Amino acid sequence: MGSFIVRRLWHGLLVVFGVSLTVFVVTRLFGDPVSLMLPLSASAEQRLAFAQQIGLDQPLFVQFLRFLGDLATFDFGQSLWQRRPAIEVVFERLPMTLMLIGAGLGTAIVLSIPLGMIAALRPGGLVDRIIVSTGLLGLSMPQFWVGLLLIMVFAVQLRLLPTSGMGTPMHLILPAVTLALTPLARLTMLVRSSMIDELNQQYVRTVKAKGLPFSHILRVHTLRNILISFLTLTGWELISTLAGYTVVVETVFAWPGLGLTAVQAIQRGDLFLMQAIVFVIALLIVLINIVLDIIFKMIDPRIDLN
Amino acid sequence: MNTIMRALLATTAFVGVFGVVTGYAQAQSIAIGIGSEPSTLDPQLRDDGGERQVNDNIYEALLARTPQGDIVPGLALDLPTQIDDTTWEFALREGISFHNGEPFNADAVVASIERAVDPENASEQLAYFGTVTGAEKVDDFTVRVFTDGPDPALPSRMYWMKMVPPVHAAEGDIAEEPVGTGPYKFVSWDRGSTITLEANEDYWDGAPDIEDVTIRFIVEPGTRLSGLMAGELDVIVYLLPEFAASVPQHAVVGGLETSVIILATDNDATSDPRVRQALNYAIDRQTLADSLFLGFADVAKGQLIHPEAFGYNTSLESYPYDPERARELIAEAGAEGTTIELMGTSGRWLKDRELVEAIGAYWSEIGLNVDVQIEEFSAYLRRLFDMNTRPDAYFVLNSNELLDADREMSFAYEAGLGGASNSDADLTAMIVEARSEADLERRAELYDEITTMVHEQAYDVPLFNHQDIYGMSERMIWQPRTDAKLIINEMSVNQ
Repeated sequence: MGSFIVRRLWHGLLVVFGVSLTVFVVTRLFGDPVSLMLPLSASAEQRLAFAQQIGLDQPLFVQFLRFLGDLATFDFGQSLWQRRPAIEVVFERLPMTLMLIGAGLGTAIVLSIPLGMIAALRPGGLVDRIIVSTGLLGLSMPQFWVGLLLIMVFAVQLRLLPTSGMGTPMHLILPAVTLALTPLARLTMLVRSSMIDELNQQYVRTVKAKGLPFSHILRVHTLRNILISFLTLTGWELISTLAGYTVVVETVFAWPGLGLTAVQAIQRGDLFLMQAIVFVIALLIVLINIVLDIIFKMIDPRIDLN
Repeated sequence: MNTIMRALLATTAFVGVFGVVTGYAQAQSIAIGIGSEPSTLDPQLRDDGGERQVNDNIYEALLARTPQGDIVPGLALDLPTQIDDTTWEFALREGISFHNGEPFNADAVVASIERAVDPENASEQLAYFGTVTGAEKVDDFTVRVFTDGPDPALPSRMYWMKMVPPVHAAEGDIAEEPVGTGPYKFVSWDRGSTITLEANEDYWDGAPDIEDVTIRFIVEPGTRLSGLMAGELDVIVYLLPEFAASVPQHAVVGGLETSVIILATDNDATSDPRVRQALNYAIDRQTLADSLFLGFADVAKGQLIHPEAFGYNTSLESYPYDPERARELIAEAGAEGTTIELMGTSGRWLKDRELVEAIGAYWSEIGLNVDVQIEEFSAYLRRLFDMNTRPDAYFVLNSNELLDADREMSFAYEAGLGGASNSDADLTAMIVEARSEADLERRAELYDEITTMVHEQAYDVPLFNHQDIYGMSERMIWQPRTDAKLIINEMSVNQ
């Protein structure tokens, strides 16, 4: 186990390094922070002075060496937009995003298991059909649109919840629900179909014949068997949320997390902040994968981590 | 009338009066939704709309503008007097102090000016006051400002330069705790969400009406609109034209932005003035203003210069929509079927892509082959500043914060600079002369000459003076300003 973790961490670092390298190249090739930050009317001298100040006048090779040196000390330079260390901005915003993901994905996980199981009990029945069609609806509605719709109904019309921003637990409800919708639908579908498969297995018939109560079979036998695939998908949803869904949801709800910050960093050509954000997200994704592998091993010792 | 009715009426009257009385007694507070979070609250560092929208209420400059755009004294007692070509003298108001108690005097002004133009600080605002070289104290309330050459636009520049308390600027955390002389004092900054301000009861020009202000940062226009519709916000900025009809109140003002297409006079396709005039005749500007911008744009009168700016030529008119005349000119020039490249960008300015595509369609109708290039903004900027490969035509929106024609001239027409697409040495000589002409009458004449020449030779295709639209709650009373500043001291609520 120990050697496994060391090896995975090593691989993970290579991945993070590769991602950072890609971001470095892409931002340098396609963005021009100097023109983006300065007013259109700035003179050529002012542009040059600004480029010198942020080190962008250096050859790409020199910039890259400097970037690598700073990376080793976790220094991503000053955010051009906020003029403070980029990593400080990331660590300030990351907790907001984690809070949102915790609420949204947590809701999805907690609800998907009972919903999927209820649907699987009588495939094709009324309850099943309602759950499946609602799930399909949840999957096919873009989050951007769902968010605005929820704001219109619950904040503008009914005035039950705030439209956007952060502050009270009430502010968390709409963005969390919006974020939960897609993962909830997908996880429910997975629980349902795996459960239907499991319930048709021979061993279920056997334990039934032995007279074990059905609820016991569900809890102890079938649920444990679907756990691996459930966790795999949950991990995948967590990663998609972290690296994608939050960008949309945070923008719609003016939630001051990392996703909204990333959008603004890109708009302003703040390549140092972009690098810091991508680095931290990539690192988190690597860690999530390692943790999942360890959990898999604990659930099913037959899994060969090598 | 029976007793019950009478009692009821009396109660109603009492509640009514009580309501009015408490209305006066209560602290008035409003919430404003702006489009971006300030990058810093240091008022002298960045060229950042979000920062200005907050700091314009906390800090003040020596000069100010009326909502209509006329320059008036701010922290200065009067408009400056010119000592010689490069020296301006300001008399200062006395008895004013910064929110932290530091006195406002000549020392503070000198320190503020020197800080703003210090190359060490590499302020993005140098684009606005690059001509200022320094300042000198004459006595406690008199200051002289120096420029590197004759600079008639200096008053406009000083209206842009905010005065900071010298001790706090040097030793305090001015990036996070703004301290000015203005009508509002900074209270708190909740990063990513809000900034709160409170009225400065000791403001030299009288305490403001509204006491507490919450400024929220909401990037997404639809979310800002929802905040207004749900009653959470009282004022929102950058309201989209299509939403103007659905909000409780909207207010409109001619904004600082003018859209234009700059033509490359040295390129083969656009070197013939007849072709360039044809490009002007080909566009039905009024229809575009009505359909694309729902009327929230005025057809620019034959020039890029902002109508409120110094140097605006009142005698010019827009080229009329005359596709027949355009086709004739194209035929005369023998330019039928010529390929013209038209570059624009997408998502930077309101309906930028749609506007450029519509113009491309108009140009196609007069027999030209239009190659519309919509570039991502960074790529667009790179092309814009590349003097070697000028696009035949490119679309840009110019914002004239200083309300002085030199802004448009140096950006769009002065050869070899910024976004200019010509190599006309005479034009550049005139621009340089006008820039430093101290005699204002002569200076205005020069701009009239330049704009007339540019118009007749069709160096550009002026499009619209764009309007700013604000959404407001029912209770707000406010007329927005030409300079797009969000001055809360000019707002009030009616309940």
